[in-house]
Amino acid sequence: MRIFIFLISTLLLFSSNLYAGSSDTKVALVPGGPHPYFAAWEQAGLDAVKDFGLGKADYRVPAEWDLSQQNELIESLVGKGYNAVLVFPGDSVGTNKILGELEDAGIPTGALAGCVEQPTKTRFCFGTDTGHSAYLGTKELIKALGGKGKIAHFTGFLVDPNTTLRIKAVEQAVAEAGGGVEIIQVIADIDAYEPADEKINAFMAAQGSEVDGIVTTAWVPAVVSAQALTNLGDKRIKMVGIDHDEVVLKAIKDGFVHGTMLQNPYGQGYIGSYIMDKIRTGCSFKSDAPWKSTSQTDQFIDSGTVFVDITDVDTYVMAMRKISLEILETFDSKYLDC
Amino acid sequence: MNIKLPKFLYTNQFGLLCLVIIFALFFTFVTEGFSSRFNLYALSRVASIDIMIGLAMMVVILTGGLNLSLGAVGVSTAMFGGWCMESLSIPIIPSIFLILLAGSFLGWINGYVTVKTGVHSFIVTLATMSIYFGLMTVLTKAQSFKNLPDAFTDIGSMKIFYRYVSPLLLFSFFIGCVLYYLFRFTDIGRKLIAAGANPSAAELSGISVNRMFIYCHMLSGILAAIAGIMVTMRIGAAIPSIAGHLGFDWLLPAFLATVLGGTLLSGGKVTVFGTILGALLVTLITNGLLLLDVGIFWVRFFLGVILLGTVLIDKARAYFTEKNIVVS
Repeated sequence: MRIFIFLISTLLLFSSNLYAGSSDTKVALVPGGPHPYFAAWEQAGLDAVKDFGLGKADYRVPAEWDLSQQNELIESLVGKGYNAVLVFPGDSVGTNKILGELEDAGIPTGALAGCVEQPTKTRFCFGTDTGHSAYLGTKELIKALGGKGKIAHFTGFLVDPNTTLRIKAVEQAVAEAGGGVEIIQVIADIDAYEPADEKINAFMAAQGSEVDGIVTTAWVPAVVSAQALTNLGDKRIKMVGIDHDEVVLKAIKDGFVHGTMLQNPYGQGYIGSYIMDKIRTGCSFKSDAPWKSTSQTDQFIDSGTVFVDITDVDTYVMAMRKISLEILETFDSKYLDC
Repeated sequence: MNIKLPKFLYTNQFGLLCLVIIFALFFTFVTEGFSSRFNLYALSRVASIDIMIGLAMMVVILTGGLNLSLGAVGVSTAMFGGWCMESLSIPIIPSIFLILLAGSFLGWINGYVTVKTGVHSFIVTLATMSIYFGLMTVLTKAQSFKNLPDAFTDIGSMKIFYRYVSPLLLFSFFIGCVLYYLFRFTDIGRKLIAAGANPSAAELSGISVNRMFIYCHMLSGILAAIAGIMVTMRIGAAIPSIAGHLGFDWLLPAFLATVLGGTLLSGGKVTVFGTILGALLVTLITNGLLLLDVGIFWVRFFLGVILLGTVLIDKARAYFTEKNIVVS
């Protein structure tokens, strides 16, 4: 994990054209709760300060996945003088109110890694097109299965706005497979180690012999599933995971996991902080900016996703670096009026 | 020469008031932004809800019991209110009335099961917490009600006193005054206290202790429902996660406010203004520690230590409390 963040940040540092930003921009990066996915935001914020000349870009984590705690944390950070807020919504609806209040107070806000539902005063949503990523991952799994078989889908918190999108996307990919593939189980709300370990291992014990493929669309279920397949020594079941945890990457190298869909948390924090500084220094979004639409928002910017398998697992950092640089290099011309 | 100081200076509330002032001054001088308009407004809004859930816990602790279903009642009634206003298009005032009715009904279930079975309310409300929350999740499919009337949600964003204070805080103070009047000056209030202080003696003097205990649980349900309404106003939507999973997130501030305030865990004594000050102190400390950049995990640690310390002090104090001072 740390190696991943270090490599990406080093590569971006030496590859990007450094931008001298406003020194009074203080960005707060606030996830919905503790989760390994967001860990890359910390280094991303620090690098954004260094590379873009921001005053601050600090990563602050609520103690639990709880909307009230997240709201209190955001309010205290603004009270401390942070003047731009990037947040993974604790709730896709409930977070709207506080972000709207911040916007009314002249503090620009953005949703990072997950969107709030429109109508919203939040400027943008910058994250993985999670539905698309889940769709592509399932397609890869179906391809690996030869177009037929029974699959299980393990995914994240029900309060995570992305979870519903992922479930629908997996269903869509399966529906397009022409009847050869069947989803025999969807297990949600397991993006924490204890419930994931309990439910995935129970599933493997009960239905492991019936299932041909597993698609996971959240970090912890991917890690636990990869570990379970490795422990079982089972290479019959094909699995497509998500993210870049060392356990998943090693399982790919060892042949227990077919591949993983990479997201770009570092790029989200790094480029997100850059965008906030641009907005604070007077830039606005172009009326013809190439926004993408999701079921939650029509002001979505895709931070990129890529499938890696055993052939390119050793060079995955390069793939993510390429995506981040592409977004950064063309961002101003595509999205901003400065 | 004997100088007779006012009685208030000897009370727990006076100590709390001093602590609130000391901490407020401390955080004003040592943190960046504590006294800013934005922070004081945010603090007043959080405090208003902490006060309400503290009071909701206090009225059950009066019976010597506990209400672990506080958060579940709050979120269930908030979701019910969202359904009334959004799906049934019931106007705001009747909807609020229905929410309070729902809160009192859920409280009545807690109280009725407790007195009829004789099982401690800790166990009963632990069970009903799961039942209420589970039922709410099943019925709503965990979907939010986000299209609530603007006139309702705007209250959560209103600012008064030069935009330093949320009106929700004044409302919480008002509810506190109503409760003080209830316990201090009404017959039913005195019966509630008598039933909590010594159930056997109360029963012998003609008070229906079981009925009083049920009333306390109903009152707790109503206050939890009010807290649910306030959180819904604050968030602008009725969502299942307003009190965390199963409503657990309300428990620590509820216990802290009540115990810090001086309400006896063994029952029979309520301190309305103590609970209000306790809630203010908890909110203040949480906010100040966050501003000091103490990690939020440490904030939870400190709050836990404060609760444990206060409970231990409460155990010692219980020996010395004069039973004739039942309301303060």
